Amino acid sequence: MISQPNSSAKVLSVVKSVLKHLFLIVMSIVSIYPVLWVVSTAFTPGETLATGWTLLLGFVPVPTSPTLEHLSFVFGWKDFGLWLTNSALVTSSTVVATVAITLPAGYALSRRNFPGRSQAMFSFLLPQMFPGVVTIIPQFLIFATLGLVNNYLGVIIPYTVSSLSLSVFIMKSAFDSVPKDLDEAAIIDGASEFKAFRRILVPLTLPHVATVALWAFMGSWLDYALAHVMLSDNNLWTLPLALYSLIQPNYTLFGTFAALSVIMAVPVFIVFMIFQKYLVSGLTAGAVKG
Amino acid sequence: MASVLERIRENKTSYLYILPALAALVFLVLYPFAFNIYISFTNMNQYHIRDYRFVGLQNYAFVFTDPDFILVFRNTFVWTVVNVVPHVAIGLALALVLNSKVRGKSIYRIFLIVPWAMPSFITLLIWRGMFNYQYGVINAFLGQLGIKSINWLGDPGWAFIGMVIANIWLGYSFMMIMFSGALQSIPNELYEAAAIDGAIGWREIRYITVPMLKPTIVIAALLGCIWTFNNFNAGYLVTGGGPGISTSIFITRAYNLAFSLFNFALSATYAFVAFLFLFAIGVAWTRYTGVMRQAV
Repeated sequence: MISQPNSSAKVLSVVKSVLKHLFLIVMSIVSIYPVLWVVSTAFTPGETLATGWTLLLGFVPVPTSPTLEHLSFVFGWKDFGLWLTNSALVTSSTVVATVAITLPAGYALSRRNFPGRSQAMFSFLLPQMFPGVVTIIPQFLIFATLGLVNNYLGVIIPYTVSSLSLSVFIMKSAFDSVPKDLDEAAIIDGASEFKAFRRILVPLTLPHVATVALWAFMGSWLDYALAHVMLSDNNLWTLPLALYSLIQPNYTLFGTFAALSVIMAVPVFIVFMIFQKYLVSGLTAGAVKG
Repeated sequence: MASVLERIRENKTSYLYILPALAALVFLVLYPFAFNIYISFTNMNQYHIRDYRFVGLQNYAFVFTDPDFILVFRNTFVWTVVNVVPHVAIGLALALVLNSKVRGKSIYRIFLIVPWAMPSFITLLIWRGMFNYQYGVINAFLGQLGIKSINWLGDPGWAFIGMVIANIWLGYSFMMIMFSGALQSIPNELYEAAAIDGAIGWREIRYITVPMLKPTIVIAALLGCIWTFNNFNAGYLVTGGGPGISTSIFITRAYNLAFSLFNFALSATYAFVAFLFLFAIGVAWTRYTGVMRQAV
């Protein structure tokens, strides 16, 4: 350090540190506030929020006499079981299909130098620029013609396609990061190409495979826009359609809505926190590096 | 030529590997995209679902003089700017503070990442609940400060502000994460050298941090523009585009036109115009980052 800290510099650094903490504290409260509200609402008796809660310290919503009625209602609700099953079916099919289609494509783009490779690459990159809604309308018309409206294939296929473009690039750059020598050596030693892929490439890129699976999971577990169009029969509804139906402008069931929100968000949140490092790197790999 | 054919023959399995992915993209993205453009030149609506016919530029001629379109156009651009600027500014401020010497960073970071880590479909509906006129927590909080209840979702102006507040909340975390990563990659020697030259504190940020971050800031801002412009959930779940069409942006207006009013042709026109704007942003972005050169 060049200058000796004197008393006014000390005061300045204390003021600076206080301001920093103030900023971080305010932003932290803002960041978790909607979560606070929904959790507190999930434990507040009644559906209207007209009574039963108060603002602690002037801003923290807390139920005056917490109840488990909403959570136990949702878990005992027959329709919830149905919608959860639908969501689980749609989501797991989407994840499996996405991984099964993405891995071979990423492999070919990374390891093979075939004529048309760069054109193929370009066609994978192009759809990233299309707003989803540009394709939703024709997709709906196509699926209507094929008789796939109110059919799970009508959502599973578009969900799989929607994350495909990004996923192929994530897997391509993941395979690129594994030195070619590794799988070539295995093939020279007599392993089949598929065995080298399964035993060497996939294990070494597992975080990326997980990222691809996670994006597919998230896209289908939480989609409203397409499900609303494709699944109008409420026996086929997925959970997002159910959640949306609980919070209508003229008719909001706050308690049930909040309980279902919490139930739907908890698994996603846990998974997200565990994998956030991979998700960021996967996202920037797809978006920035191509 | 023979050698190309030979190489194609040698690579039969390569084509097999990319075929499912490519076929899916062609039939479910590229073909629908072309179909969408075609629909925008027809009169397909609830009266002409099957027997629609080509009408030329009629829809385009209509939208460019339609006051609704002009409102939606204005909304979309205001929406993009008033979201992306705070996203970048707040994200950058948080990243800078967290990168400096401050206690409890890791705890703050966990809280600050919540808006990004929570599924936006759910948090946006939560905001919709918090904005409720009668029982929403935001009006209750304002009431304590002596401010009269605001009709957040019923008044066009307030609905727009509410939708922007919710989306600003949604976006700064991701920017913070991007900038934190970029900050950590700035070599320490730069700061040490600058300290020897007498540059500390604010000047350090101005002459080292910001210039070093500039490429990340530009990419983040452009990505942010594309995402915000395109963000169906943020534009739809809080206000539904209403009251009326007052808070509609291109993507939500196109959706409502198709699936509430069944005017597929007009919806396709909105969607294609939106795509053209995005394409322009995309070209600028591609130029800047050289993404095609690196990818191919």
